[in-house]
Amino acid sequence: MATTTDAGVEALNRLKEIDPPSLLAPNPALSQTARTASQYLFSSLRPFSQKSPLDQLLVDGYDAEQIWHQIDIQSQPLLSTLRRRLKQLVNNPEEISKLKAPSDVANKAEPKNNQDEWEEEESDGFDEELDEGDEDVDEDEEGVEKEEGKGEEEGNEDEDEEDEESAEEDEEEKGEGVGIEDKFFKINELNAFLKKEEVDKGEQDSEDDDMLDEAGDFEMEEDDDDEDEEEEELEEEEEEEEEEEEEEEGKEKTRYDDLSGDKVKKNKTPSTHEKQLEKLQSKIAQMEKANVEPKTWTMQGEVTAAKRPTNSALEVDLDFEHNVRPTPVITEEVTASLEDMIQKRIIEGIFNDVQRAPKLPSKAPREVKELDDNKSKQGLAELYEQEYVQKIDPTSAPLSFKDELKNEASMLFKRLCLKLDALSHFNFAPKPVIEDMSFQTNVPALAMEEIAPVAVSDAAMLAPEEVFDGKGDVKEETELTQAERKRRRANKKRKFKAEEVKRSEKKAPVNAVSSQVNG
Amino acid sequence: MQSNQESSSMEVDVATSEQKVLPPKPKFEPLKPHEMSSGQVQFRKVSVPPHRYTPLKKAWMDIYTPVYEQMKIDLRMNLKARKVELKTRHDTPDISNLQKCADFVHAFMLGFDVIDAIALLRLDELYVESFEIKDVKTLRGDHLSRAIGRLSGKGGKTKFAIENASKTRIVIADTKIHILGSFANIKIARDSLCYLIMGSPAGKVYSKLRAVSARLAERF
Repeated sequence: MATTTDAGVEALNRLKEIDPPSLLAPNPALSQTARTASQYLFSSLRPFSQKSPLDQLLVDGYDAEQIWHQIDIQSQPLLSTLRRRLKQLVNNPEEISKLKAPSDVANKAEPKNNQDEWEEEESDGFDEELDEGDEDVDEDEEGVEKEEGKGEEEGNEDEDEEDEESAEEDEEEKGEGVGIEDKFFKINELNAFLKKEEVDKGEQDSEDDDMLDEAGDFEMEEDDDDEDEEEEELEEEEEEEEEEEEEEEGKEKTRYDDLSGDKVKKNKTPSTHEKQLEKLQSKIAQMEKANVEPKTWTMQGEVTAAKRPTNSALEVDLDFEHNVRPTPVITEEVTASLEDMIQKRIIEGIFNDVQRAPKLPSKAPREVKELDDNKSKQGLAELYEQEYVQKIDPTSAPLSFKDELKNEASMLFKRLCLKLDALSHFNFAPKPVIEDMSFQTNVPALAMEEIAPVAVSDAAMLAPEEVFDGKGDVKEETELTQAERKRRRANKKRKFKAEEVKRSEKKAPVNAVSSQVNG
Repeated sequence: MQSNQESSSMEVDVATSEQKVLPPKPKFEPLKPHEMSSGQVQFRKVSVPPHRYTPLKKAWMDIYTPVYEQMKIDLRMNLKARKVELKTRHDTPDISNLQKCADFVHAFMLGFDVIDAIALLRLDELYVESFEIKDVKTLRGDHLSRAIGRLSGKGGKTKFAIENASKTRIVIADTKIHILGSFANIKIARDSLCYLIMGSPAGKVYSKLRAVSARLAERF
């Protein structure tokens, strides 16, 4: 045991003397030294912890986690014992004077020991420490832990923080003289730490509100205001650890300045909840104030130029309804597309020409007799011969050249029309009624007028003298003279007599026959 | 029945007695031309202008044949006197034939074509009218030339238009104008030509001609 004790002390001393940056790099010799140191500390604390299952710290082949856990097993009941003891001392101050002063080495070794451990481990150890902190922790233990936590944080970052920690340790050592304190607890240290935490927390609150929300769960506990503060503080620090390292560095420096400058802070610091409430209320007040005030001109309805500040419409992005299509920007693409369309139209031949609507003929077109200004091929004799023939017999007249052409054309057209009508099964819309073309033929008018209507018989066509089948001059009875009247009567009598003679002759042979039959 | 028979025999007796009283009616045939003027032959002589001499030589047979064959008029050319002589034959049917043939030859000498002049032989009512430009309007120099140009038209188309519209034949010989056709047609042609001589443009004359010809076609 004595050799181990010496070795442990020696190890501790060695650790104390080494250069802190060299701790950052994993060094097996250094780790061995650290392990022996921690073994020594463990065994030195062993007599104080009655409930601890371990007699000595097992370091060979164990990693930092396991070693730390072993330490934890020992120190937990130890801490609770110390808390109880502190409470007793608080209640009974006269017992404080009876206590012994703790050793310096133990004080120094432990933070350093912890420091080494922390440097080897990552933030996992930090987590475990925090987990410890979540449980009910007495103020004195807390103070030490927080200080240690602080120290860990600093140790992970820079030399400056280690210097600060050493400063803290110095402060710690200075506080030995007070009776109530033992090697774990110093009242001055506690106060100083608490103040520091307040300032730090205040600054951090102003920066991150999100952290508050996350730490809101912890606010709900409210076992002890100070405890909650510190717990949140730790968690915030843990989360912001890597991001705001330098910021916190600076903050801590300022904190120290503040501490040096302002010795008396407010006695009761507002809690997180109260601070949040303050914030909310300020926000509410602000919004109510805004509602009460008259609105900005953009939010009002119809605003004339007089009601708004000058040139304010220039700054605001106004939205208009445009009733007209914006003029197209003529780019090369637009021109190219237009030209393509034009070319396509030309190729296809689709021009939007305005077509004149066909005018229906209101009046029948008159046939225009054209003058022939060429030398006539027929001699004069033939001309007059044709004329004569036409006069005598219109139908047998040889048709003029124009008439022949017309006949041929009309025949062709009739045939075509017949075929087309057959295509539509003889269902067709009737032609628009226009008067027949009035044309002049070479037929004399009399011949044309002789075209008889259908219903009239041939008798009507004949001239009266042709219809009359009498002879001579026909006179009425009133026109007759005496002598003519007598003559007519005489003729009538003669006719009657002649007819009677004929009748009697017809009857006579019959009678003769009958008489012969009879006679 | 017996009474009837008796009456019929009586009529026969009357008829035979009346026959010997009247002489037969004389029947006279129309006089032949050579019998007129107590058997002397009738002549006509038509002088030939120098510019028609060659065309006469070319168209002699066309002239001679219808005159001799159909009109039965003797025809000969007196080269020394430069005249065409016509004479009736013994079998010339009508005295007017001679006159017609003389008119036919005369029309040819004026400048008409044979086929146009033949109409004179075939139709009775055809006449030849001649007048001069100065009869219508006194024109001199260029105006006269222009008037002649107006009458003919470009390539003769105005003249032909008038001819076709009025069924006449027109000969424009320098300042003399001859029109061959029926009386009414000559009037139409003459009026158109007079308008042209007096200075109206051809288009105007055409429109008048159109109206006239339309009326002519409808005419009975």
